[in-house]
Amino acid sequence: MKQYPWAVPAIIVVCAIVLAAGPLVLPPFYVRVGQLMLYSSGLAVAWAILGGFAGYGSFGHAAFIGVGAFAAGLVEERFSSLPTPLLLPLGLIVGGLACAVLSAAVAYPILRLRGTFFAIAMLGVCHVCAELNNNLDVLQGSLGLNFPAITPTGWDPANFFYQLYLAAGTIVLLIAWQIRRSRFGAGLLSIREDEDTARMLGVPTERYKRIAFVVSAVLTGLLGVIYGHSLGYITTDSVYRDDTNLSLVVYSLLGGMGTLFGPVIGAFMLVFITQVVLARLLDFHLFATGLLLVVLVLAAPGGVLGFVRSYRLRRRSTAAAPAE
Amino acid sequence: MNLIAQTLADGLVLGGIYALAAVGFSLIFGVLHVINLSHGILVLLGAYLALIFSTTLHIDPLLTMPMVMVVLFAVGYVYQRFLIQQAVDRSPLGSMLLTFGVALMLQNIMIWVFSPDMRNITPTYAFTSFKLGPIAFDAVRVSCLLASLVLLSCLAALLKFSPLGRVIRATAQQTLAARLCGVNVRHVYALTFAVSAAFAGAAGIVIGIILPFSPADEGTWTLNAFVVVVLGGVGSPAGALIGGLLLGIVSTLTAQYIGPSFPNVTMFLLLVLLLLVRPQGLLGNAFAPSR
Repeated sequence: MKQYPWAVPAIIVVCAIVLAAGPLVLPPFYVRVGQLMLYSSGLAVAWAILGGFAGYGSFGHAAFIGVGAFAAGLVEERFSSLPTPLLLPLGLIVGGLACAVLSAAVAYPILRLRGTFFAIAMLGVCHVCAELNNNLDVLQGSLGLNFPAITPTGWDPANFFYQLYLAAGTIVLLIAWQIRRSRFGAGLLSIREDEDTARMLGVPTERYKRIAFVVSAVLTGLLGVIYGHSLGYITTDSVYRDDTNLSLVVYSLLGGMGTLFGPVIGAFMLVFITQVVLARLLDFHLFATGLLLVVLVLAAPGGVLGFVRSYRLRRRSTAAAPAE
Repeated sequence: MNLIAQTLADGLVLGGIYALAAVGFSLIFGVLHVINLSHGILVLLGAYLALIFSTTLHIDPLLTMPMVMVVLFAVGYVYQRFLIQQAVDRSPLGSMLLTFGVALMLQNIMIWVFSPDMRNITPTYAFTSFKLGPIAFDAVRVSCLLASLVLLSCLAALLKFSPLGRVIRATAQQTLAARLCGVNVRHVYALTFAVSAAFAGAAGIVIGIILPFSPADEGTWTLNAFVVVVLGGVGSPAGALIGGLLLGIVSTLTAQYIGPSFPNVTMFLLLVLLLLVRPQGLLGNAFAPSR
């Protein structure tokens, strides 16, 4: 891929165009599953900008889904007299701004922590946001919040949100790709490998971490805004979800931590397993997710892509070996 | 004035229990550098075992403590030796996710076995109380606080004076050096985990007597343990005690004067404040392993 720098975005765009045709051929149930897959992979990639590249795995990213969705919903409710096509952009701007402000504010204390401490402190951030949102009446968390219908006339809502998620996911993935190949991305990778050495060598680790945190939070928040619209009605419990917090980690782990496409693969796989394979076994969900986690950590700590890569390396080394 | 004194007294009682529930978590983190997200499940396991033992044997729930601790000691040893050991030293996120996976599985099993309903353990002296000056204490809470303090002292003594304690401390300070001196590190890891699980179980009994519990509570207890450890400092019973008491007092004060629905908010504001001012925790060196 090194000699064709534009191959990756080309692949992403071609895949997106192919996927855009999905709702034309799929039955309605699978369009919904597809929505969830695209939404989840967008979130997974946004999470991985911080968690995968910089190695700061957050356990509380649902905070930004919630803050984004509620900020957008509250403002759109106030300005509901605006023409419908303007509502979503307005919501996206407000939700993104709210997440940017929140993440910039918590970045300073939270990013002093590393590893698991950072992960759980983020869980705390998520719980605090959820609790405030639930208990302050202005924010309507416990009462619930209605979103205006934004589907243009003539569109099927399921199809509309499918395309919206697809567009958002593609953009997030392209942003992640651009970050990965930039100087900034190399800095993030060096933070993951050895933060103290990177700092010593002149990488502005504090600034890079903070920027990655804000970018990741804003992208998560934007997806949260779309999610709020697709649900139509949200309460605190429907957006600040601990299973989302967990899933975001599992997506990267399943696909391959720190890779560009790993989170996408992981999200598609996990959503397929839980929504299609285990659809009838609701009592079994916790157990199955737990078992999957245990098996993954023990058997394939590098995820799918890590597994493929080590297999390729092994083949290459056996191909080179016969000289001996 | 009375109200403040009463609130503080309640906070201390609650804090003693938080401390007991967190000490095992702290020990595991200090020695194994593993964040044990299944800690809350071990606490609840203790509570359910106490419920079963005390109702089938018709004895006081606090007297089931030796049995519960023995069972959880065994469970902890096996769990560490055969599962967690595989992920220790591979990556911090890996071991954390492993324990989280186990927590999810056990929570689901608990829901199947014990139903998702709230339970509580009621000892015979449940509704007696006495007054010390103007402050009221109920017998249950005081006996639970005493049990917590006794257990924490026992653990402190165990770590400080016994040969096992010496080996555990040596492993925590310098794993490699301990290994060179002939310490079987894997065995010590498993024993540490077993001791922690036993104390989590003991904490579960005390919690079960004071508060209602259900399988869904495990997250709360894990999170509380985490906060206590960050506040107090990692690895020592004294740190857990300080952190626990602080958390207990803060949460009762919040419930009394700000509103009962904001426990997490003040808890984490306190946490963030402390991280800014004294990132190593009040005692000791909470973040040495995380830096």
